[in-house]
Amino acid sequence: MSEAGATGVAGRTYPPVAFEIDGERVAAFARAIGADAADGVPPTFAAVYSLGATAPQLFGDEEAAVDFAKLLHADQEFAWERHPRVGETVTSRGRVVSDTSRRGMRFLTFETETAGADGSPVCRSRALFVIRS
Amino acid sequence: MTEKRVTFTTDQITSYAEASGDRNPIHLDGEFAKSVGLPGVIAHGMLQMGLMATVAADAAGGPERLRRLYCRFAGMVEPGDTVTFAAETTAPGRLVLSATNQRGEAVLTKSSAEFA
Repeated sequence: MSEAGATGVAGRTYPPVAFEIDGERVAAFARAIGADAADGVPPTFAAVYSLGATAPQLFGDEEAAVDFAKLLHADQEFAWERHPRVGETVTSRGRVVSDTSRRGMRFLTFETETAGADGSPVCRSRALFVIRS
Repeated sequence: MTEKRVTFTTDQITSYAEASGDRNPIHLDGEFAKSVGLPGVIAHGMLQMGLMATVAADAAGGPERLRRLYCRFAGMVEPGDTVTFAAETTAPGRLVLSATNQRGEAVLTKSSAEFA
């Protein structure tokens, strides 16, 4: 195996992913967290339409070489301009902000910008993943 | 102070896995979880954050008012654990968030929210 993967993929961007905010999926998500779907799309449904739409691109990137079985989600931030509505389609773009190793652990910061159909910002997700050695 | 106490179950973790699409086997398959050094299946950090967000939303006056949410996943939550999620307004539009298990251990730390 080349060492290239281990030197990091900071700055890497992934192609945009479209996601339709489906009412049944929102209702199931709301039930799972004890929220009321009548209150609208739960804010942390961003775990699905933003982070969840783009993180698989990072995890499936052979050059990024993320060992999924040793991956821990260390922290998470969401910042919203607004919350999306059921039926709308949002588009998310993922980017590796930083990729460093220390004390035998790898730290990956992954940011996702999600926008509405008109391109206006909806949500920014910032996740820190730690990959144990 | 707004609080909610939740006892985690495997059903709830499975429901979250299905609804969120995060089917990492560490949340679903106890034998797999043990094979990677965990005590057994653990709850998704994002499930903890989802529950935390419902408490933050109550404190903020509605989920649509949340503008930022940050959680640091400091401790594992297993089925059977009871976690108390709490939100406290410390300044206008700002919440300090905490989540503590039945042993008094913080499972979410340095967590906060902003609302408008």
